[in-house]
Amino acid sequence: MSATPSRRRFLGAVGKAASFFGLASAPLVAAEGNASSRKHRWGMVIDLDRCTGCQACAVACRAENNVPVAGPTNTEKGRSIFWMNLLTTSEGAYPGLRQQFIPTPCNHCEDPPCVKACPVGATTQSEEGITQQIPERCIGCRLCEVACPYTRRYFNWSEAEWPDSLREQLNPDVAVRPHGVIEKCLFCHHRIRAAKDRVRAEGRALTDADVRRLPACAQSCPAEAIVFGDLNDPESEVSREAESPRAFRLLEDTGTHPKVFYLREAKWQE
Amino acid sequence: MAGVARATPAAGASDEAALIRHLPLEGQGFWLSILVLATGASALFYGFLLQVLYGHAVTGQGSHGAIWGIIVANIVNFIGVSHVGIAISAVVRLLRLKKYQQLARLAEFITLAAITTAVMNIAMDVGRPERFIINTLWYGRHYAPFVWSCTVITTYVVGSSVYLYLAMRRDLWLCEAKVPSRRWLYRMMALGYRDTPASRARHNRVVWWLAVVILPIMVSVHSVYGYIFGLQAGRPGWYNPFQAPYFVLGAIVSGFATVIVALAVLRQAFHWEEFFPIAIFKGLGIFLGFVTLLYMYFLFSEYLTGTYASPEAERVVFRDVLFGRFAVITWSAMLGGMLFPFALLFVQGVNRRIVSIPLTVTAALFINIGLWTIRTVVVVPTFYHPLLPWEVAPYVPALAEWCIVIGSFFFFALLLLVLVKVFPVLEFPEVHEGDEEVHGGRMPFWKMLSVGGSAVAGVTLIATGIAYRTQPEFYHPPVIWLSGIVMLLSVPFQICVLPERPLRRFVRTQLAAAPRLVVSGRARAASYLVAAPRVVKAPAMRLPAPGVNAR
Repeated sequence: MSATPSRRRFLGAVGKAASFFGLASAPLVAAEGNASSRKHRWGMVIDLDRCTGCQACAVACRAENNVPVAGPTNTEKGRSIFWMNLLTTSEGAYPGLRQQFIPTPCNHCEDPPCVKACPVGATTQSEEGITQQIPERCIGCRLCEVACPYTRRYFNWSEAEWPDSLREQLNPDVAVRPHGVIEKCLFCHHRIRAAKDRVRAEGRALTDADVRRLPACAQSCPAEAIVFGDLNDPESEVSREAESPRAFRLLEDTGTHPKVFYLREAKWQE
Repeated sequence: MAGVARATPAAGASDEAALIRHLPLEGQGFWLSILVLATGASALFYGFLLQVLYGHAVTGQGSHGAIWGIIVANIVNFIGVSHVGIAISAVVRLLRLKKYQQLARLAEFITLAAITTAVMNIAMDVGRPERFIINTLWYGRHYAPFVWSCTVITTYVVGSSVYLYLAMRRDLWLCEAKVPSRRWLYRMMALGYRDTPASRARHNRVVWWLAVVILPIMVSVHSVYGYIFGLQAGRPGWYNPFQAPYFVLGAIVSGFATVIVALAVLRQAFHWEEFFPIAIFKGLGIFLGFVTLLYMYFLFSEYLTGTYASPEAERVVFRDVLFGRFAVITWSAMLGGMLFPFALLFVQGVNRRIVSIPLTVTAALFINIGLWTIRTVVVVPTFYHPLLPWEVAPYVPALAEWCIVIGSFFFFALLLLVLVKVFPVLEFPEVHEGDEEVHGGRMPFWKMLSVGGSAVAGVTLIATGIAYRTQPEFYHPPVIWLSGIVMLLSVPFQICVLPERPLRRFVRTQLAAAPRLVVSGRARAASYLVAAPRVVKAPAMRLPAPGVNAR
């Protein structure tokens, strides 16, 4: 359908009026962006053939992100919090038993079910693809926790506590969460910011080498099984390894498109 | 009161006295039941207090365990119960079921009491009760089922309150004369009602249309609850397009059962045998039996799909429900809470000689318990089988949860008793044939402006809220569309309540009737200011002379 000049003029006027009234909203619209135009799209590759199940990643994550200590009763009731945890599966029976350890951070899905479920926008997807959480806004309805097919979100069932010896090592870069809100893995997003500030001060762009071992889990992995990086950068290690024939993602048929890839020789049976 | 009193119903005076016999706050039974119910309801607040003091760790729930527990089942139950009140009332009005007419208002009170209890349960289940309503309104996302639920519940509460009020307004006005001790309350609440044929006809027409509007809203409220569960793709056992109608039907079943129990108790307590003949219980019982049968059919269909050839994740959950760790709970709920009461109701329904209130009430009680249990079996089992093989802590409801659940029932009953004791529950008979033909003529211009303006503003606000739904941080769309809905629902209220007089005359009479304010006499204002202490001490209104109220 072709627009006559007068109609075009009319539409132009409407557009101008709309832009006048919608001026304040313009930055918000611009911020939405789509996947391809993003500068970074953070992802992770975890090589299960390298993983020894030592749990250094889980320990480092707790220390880095001020994850509270649950204590025996709450742990028994399934209330302890793990931003990074080891999922252990067993295949076969003794003597052919094979155990598989799967380090599981948040999958930072491209289409996250938790974001759809959150009524207040306390969990959203950042421009760089990180599923982020705002504890100050969270109302604690636990709908996101229910919605997450991977159970990678945790509710603060009680006030966060640490023994005195552990209080000494709380990380000043990460806020402590109050009780009654949800928390989750953020891909060590404070470290990403710090790295960006550093390279800006040095007057250069962020490279793959800057971020490969950036999150606490990747940094602490003795087997170097965890690699972090930008999935939008075709040269990055994560991009290359995500294309590997060994690569798979968890619960791919739920359509969440996780950005955490796993590598394994044989296909993992879910 | 300048009402036109010529149209007072001509029915027998003793009959009318019976209609308001329940109102006085007297009798040992009443105070005893208030005491018992208040004590029981305090359990609700005790459970909440435990959660506030020690966090949700006092419950049996856990992240790698039951993320939601019996409180959520309880919310679903009370939202369901809240349904039926207005449904009964609207159906009675739309289908003109004269036999059940006296049931309508009691059912509406059940709606209000149940929805209040349900919303309190939601507030007690979320982790941050202090900000849950504010944040949901201010930052609400249009795509979240929880926000839909907030929207439809608000619509439902406001709509049913307007409906209840307009349907009750004439009775409030009548009570103003009949209950001298509460004249002030009923006078205030009647908002200057005038009992003219035109006014009655207007109220009836408006309430009829409200009933038409409210029925779909009522279906939407529980459908949205179905969607909260049914849209969770990551939850085997929940993800199901069937969930919305399933929840609506469950609401009808449990709501009817509650209405039957409440009606039987109140009928016994207030000797309402003449207004609620025993045949009413038979009719309600037949309907309850029918919907219970339908519910069993839904259950069968769901369980068959879940166990027959479904994905492994679904099958694991349904096997657990039917033959695993939930088998005892499920089967006792289905046999004892559905099949057995259905058999009772069926026997009563097909046998012309059996009409028994105890039998109907027993069946209704069993159905209530059974359905509550079925709801826990809907909510909890999926958490035992997450899609990834995590270890799961078994769920045992803790003291705080039981306190909240049991306290909710007491709280609901207490609220219902208070409503029943404060307002006229039974409708005064309207013996005005031909009111339907009366038309009030044209509205005065200012009223038309107000009504039409509210309607336009309401629709505009709703449209604005929806249009700006993608920018919740800046425009806060739920606040916009909810104020639109409230504005729109004020239209029927305004049509009935705003007087049909020219504005100037209306304002003048209102001013004349109002207590003398300082501003009404400019000359005297200065003297009042000088004598300010005296003004403060002066009584706000002149007290009526003794003996005026008695007649």
